[in-house]
Amino acid sequence: MLPPGLHIPDGFLSTPISLAAWVIAIVVLALAVRFADRDLDERAVPLMGVMAAFIFAAQMMNFPVAGGTSGHMVGGALAAILLGPWAAIIVLTAVVALQALLFQDGGLVVMGANILNMGIITVLLATLIYRVCRPFALGNAAALGIAFVAAWITVEASAIATALQLAASGTSPLEVVFPAMVSVHALIGIGEGLITAAALGFVLATRPDLVPRPAAATR
Amino acid sequence: MSIAAHLDRYAHRNSPVHRLDARAKVPAVFAYVLVISTTREADWTAIGLLALPVLALVIASRLGPWLVLRRTFLALPFVMAAVPLMFTRPGETVFTLPLLGWTASDEGIQAVATILARSWLSVAMAVVLVSSTPMVQILRALRWLRVPRLLVATISFTYRYFFVIGEEAQRMIRARDSRSARLPGLHGGGSVRWRARVVGHMAGSLFVRSLERSERVHAAMQARGYRGEPRFLDDPPLPALHLAAAAAFVVLGVAMQAGARL
Repeated sequence: MLPPGLHIPDGFLSTPISLAAWVIAIVVLALAVRFADRDLDERAVPLMGVMAAFIFAAQMMNFPVAGGTSGHMVGGALAAILLGPWAAIIVLTAVVALQALLFQDGGLVVMGANILNMGIITVLLATLIYRVCRPFALGNAAALGIAFVAAWITVEASAIATALQLAASGTSPLEVVFPAMVSVHALIGIGEGLITAAALGFVLATRPDLVPRPAAATR
Repeated sequence: MSIAAHLDRYAHRNSPVHRLDARAKVPAVFAYVLVISTTREADWTAIGLLALPVLALVIASRLGPWLVLRRTFLALPFVMAAVPLMFTRPGETVFTLPLLGWTASDEGIQAVATILARSWLSVAMAVVLVSSTPMVQILRALRWLRVPRLLVATISFTYRYFFVIGEEAQRMIRARDSRSARLPGLHGGGSVRWRARVVGHMAGSLFVRSLERSERVHAAMQARGYRGEPRFLDDPPLPALHLAAAAAFVVLGVAMQAGARL
């Protein structure tokens, strides 16, 4: 992945910013644990565990874009659309935590910020966009278009949040890091959007029963 | 090479650091990294003092400095995010980049170096933690630290099935590469959109396979009496000595940080 990526290592965020991000992440996670437990009951653990492994593995699948860079998924939008927001937040938190623990891809004290950027902002935003727009999409093609846009926006939002945290910590000057992150992730977001839409298209074509439909979209 | 072979490779060696209970080690490492993160810019005394316990820990873990060094480099590409600070921070000019005409200031270089040093020490701590502790023990420590059961159980399952699904993904990637034969030097495959579609369909297919696997796993768990409440083995008692050693390490870090500010 292109530097600067999204997995912030320790040392790059100031202590107050790291701790503030942890507080937000913990509050949202507490809600997510409660609601996911209620919605999924006893299926929750095997479903979310295997799905987090899936996101992990799907991130391994990359494709060449241009100039030696490759596109791969973050998976926030796909998880939000297929699993619902609460389960998706827990799934992505498990992914972020294991990436930090197994591969030092992301730090420990800054893990709250990484969970916030990649697991919470992406999922909540994708859920919002998909739920608001889905009833207006009549065909599957339009639904895939919405998934593409939702995925692109989540990657951008994640990059913006990372840039703002780096700038607020005094690590990167805002006038440099903001345009850099936004423009690089505008390209990465296209890859994310295309893969998300194609994956959703595949699931809609083979197992449409697995894709939750907002009530208004029944035809 | 299988994914499983890469993980927990060093966790079963023997050293005082390996033997330390994970319930003491995990919070201590977190606290120490937190102490490192409070280091002020260009406070080289603090960084030097904080590096001493880290160095002692690396030696005591008997992992070998090369292993730790090699694994710490993984996080370094991110330093790109801090480098611009070198040129934007006002201060005494040290050098000017040819062509671009950007001037690097002394203050800016010190700021970037501080961030690098803080990050590097933190990553070294994390590397020692995960290289000296089996993942199962780290998860048990999280449970003991009152992380919600559902979250710990999900992370445990992710760790368990990461190998299975990951190797399934590797098989699909190998199959794609086998189908995509191309002459050397020639541009293979279709447009970026077409390639993204292929990867997307692989991801979709992997999603369906994973979901069906989770249904089978759930059925197998039910067959063994699972009622929706993840169960963990009872924790063995945590020796006070381990807690004391971990606490002493953190106190040492705080003392180093405070001492540097006197």
